[in-house]
Amino acid sequence: MLHKDNCHTSSEVGHAVHDEPAIQVERLAMAFGEGPARRTIIDGLSLTVARGEFLCIVGASGCGKTTLLRLLAGLARPTEGRIDFHGKPVNGPSRERAIVFQDYGRALLPWRTVGGNIALALETCKVPKVEHAERVRQLAETMGLSHAVNHYPSQLSGGMQQRVQIARCLAQNPTLLLMDEPFGALDAITRQGLQDEVARLAQVHGTTVVFITHDLEEAIYLGDRVVVLAANPGRILRDIPVDVPRPRHQLTTREDQKFLALRHEIFGLLEGH
Amino acid sequence: MGKRWLGAVIPVGVLVSWEAAWHIENVRMESLSRPWDVGLALFHGLAGGEFLIATAETFQAALLGFAIAAVIGLVAGVVLGLLPWLESVVGPSIDAMRPVPSVALIPLTLMIFGFGVRMEAAVVAFACLWPILIVTISAVRGIDTALLNVARVLEMSTYERMVKIILPAALSRIAVGLQLALAISLVVAVTVEIVLNPRGLGHGMMSAQQAMRFDQMYAQLLWIGAVGWGLSYGSQVLLDRWSPACRADRAKERS
Amino acid sequence: MTRNRRWLSRFGAIIFALFLLAVWQILAALEVISPLFFPSPLRTLSELWSQITSGRIWTPFSSTVVRMVYGWLAASLLGVVLGALIAGSRFSKLLLTPMLEFIRPMPASAIIPVAILAFGLSNRMSTAVIAFGSIWPVLLAAIQGFSTVEPRLYEMADAMRMSAWDRFRKVSLPGAMPDILAGARVGLAVALILAVVTEMQASLPGLGQSILMAQRSFRTPELYAGVIMLGAIGFGASMLLQWVERRLLRWRSAQ
Repeated sequence: MLHKDNCHTSSEVGHAVHDEPAIQVERLAMAFGEGPARRTIIDGLSLTVARGEFLCIVGASGCGKTTLLRLLAGLARPTEGRIDFHGKPVNGPSRERAIVFQDYGRALLPWRTVGGNIALALETCKVPKVEHAERVRQLAETMGLSHAVNHYPSQLSGGMQQRVQIARCLAQNPTLLLMDEPFGALDAITRQGLQDEVARLAQVHGTTVVFITHDLEEAIYLGDRVVVLAANPGRILRDIPVDVPRPRHQLTTREDQKFLALRHEIFGLLEGH
Repeated sequence: MGKRWLGAVIPVGVLVSWEAAWHIENVRMESLSRPWDVGLALFHGLAGGEFLIATAETFQAALLGFAIAAVIGLVAGVVLGLLPWLESVVGPSIDAMRPVPSVALIPLTLMIFGFGVRMEAAVVAFACLWPILIVTISAVRGIDTALLNVARVLEMSTYERMVKIILPAALSRIAVGLQLALAISLVVAVTVEIVLNPRGLGHGMMSAQQAMRFDQMYAQLLWIGAVGWGLSYGSQVLLDRWSPACRADRAKERS
Repeated sequence: MTRNRRWLSRFGAIIFALFLLAVWQILAALEVISPLFFPSPLRTLSELWSQITSGRIWTPFSSTVVRMVYGWLAASLLGVVLGALIAGSRFSKLLLTPMLEFIRPMPASAIIPVAILAFGLSNRMSTAVIAFGSIWPVLLAAIQGFSTVEPRLYEMADAMRMSAWDRFRKVSLPGAMPDILAGARVGLAVALILAVVTEMQASLPGLGQSILMAQRSFRTPELYAGVIMLGAIGFGASMLLQWVERRLLRWRSAQ
């Protein structure tokens, strides 16, 4: 386990050995059930994620994307294989690995305001109480939530609620951000805005991101790399570096030749499986 | 789920160790009867008809009070539900009378009716009236106005409208309210008997206690528990059989 | 409802209440209804007034309130703690739920003879009975509440490595609070009823005893005064809890 339990400040992120990968997954396998009812969700999956890399994972339903994310978060234990995070094996959840759930409505405390929800991460990370107000204000401003800080989640739209969840995860100062189809339930315009936000934040803080989506355009738009998973059992079909220039723009990048070529390639892969 | 038997572990365990403790001289307590004796008393009470007579007496008062409350509550509830202006005028007076604990009426009804069925039924009726009334009002309020408009277009008489549209539409929620009131009726009846009415299960328990027949007392307690549970379970089964919609309303009612 | 209509209905409600009192007054004056059983409102209110101003009412009033609150508070706290423990362990849920389901419909007052046996006709008996009666609604509601906290929130707490105590304080307890408060409201009503019943039973100081004594000496206005005060306690307690609920559950109504 990591020797520090508190959350890192962002200045500490760059000090570790640079060539050590953020995540090293070796021959990961995950199965549920016993005997004839045993279902193998993931089989023989190996993966490396570099520090500060933005990795997108796409695949049809049932390919184990969410399971993989939960394994990376430490919320579940694999039946075979190992996962190393910054050189140390993953044995359970950690505040360094923040996870943004898909069903944002169920992942926010309904009895706390937006500010309260963000503060929850600060409280848990043992940030001194005097700093809370300021950090909440900063994070709210970063995520465009300043006007809603005293509202309850039930009063907000889906997009706003998802921003709150992201803000709370950012409050943990994570070195790894895991996102499970975070924008799946949102409308196109909101989605695009949040895509750019997340990309920008990851870039600024140097956070490693593992981003799951079923939207292959989103995956190419956001990622430094796209991993395509096949289903039954879940395994890596293709690992594709995204050679599209940064910074990216919603309109121009999506018309870029390389973008379109990747789109064709991945679409073909997904169709075949 | 074969784990159901786990629920019996504690009661059985308690009984067994209690019975075992009885056989150790210095653990015995005068007032804690031996489970075996309690079992015997229960058997004799039932077989001899004593418990059953008491049960009938209690139910007589409970059901009488429940019926009175149901009639008044349903009629008044429908009327007030359909006429919101009337409900806002009468409502506060109802809210003033409602919080009075039903047992507070025991001395009053005793004075008016003397000991016996009527006094008990009156207290039960007071206790059951409010839940029935309130549930009926809200059930009627919740009737889709579209249905009421249908009644108007068809030019239904008031009676027809009540019987063919209003009551059936509100019925499942009302049924849940009635089930609750039924449980209340039993509880209140037993309470009145324990306090002072010399009839029924409650009185049986009190006189057993006063006559120092403790095994009888515990037996009566168990029987009262069984009757209460039986009533609750039985009314549940009836309700579920009759209308699966009630189950959804019950869940709503609880929230 | 527009402001005018609201004032109108408030006005109408007052008129209606006064109307009822007026009818009663007339019927009593004309001796259509027995003035012994139904003393006129004026006599009742003047009796109540003299009791309040002379201070005579406050001793029994406060005795009943203290008794009720003391037993209810103890029962509620215990109920929440036990509920959390039971809900937290699937094993204990399997072990205890059938037993709890059996005890739930039982009239709490049936425990009175047993309590008299154990504690005699004393305040301890009263507290024990009140606590026994009011713990069930809270306990069952707490189990329900703790069991239905959104599981995703627990996952989030695990992902953030919250301490167990933090998890309970920041996720479990607030999540279960709506159910707990609903159960506590029922528990308070039960506590009031049992306070009155045990006072009547054991001649303990309080409004229950006062109204019973008033009945025995046929001092009906005094009886009614006591009943009104009991209604006031019920009303006040319910209002207080609703206020607490509104404050603690502000997030629920925010839409």
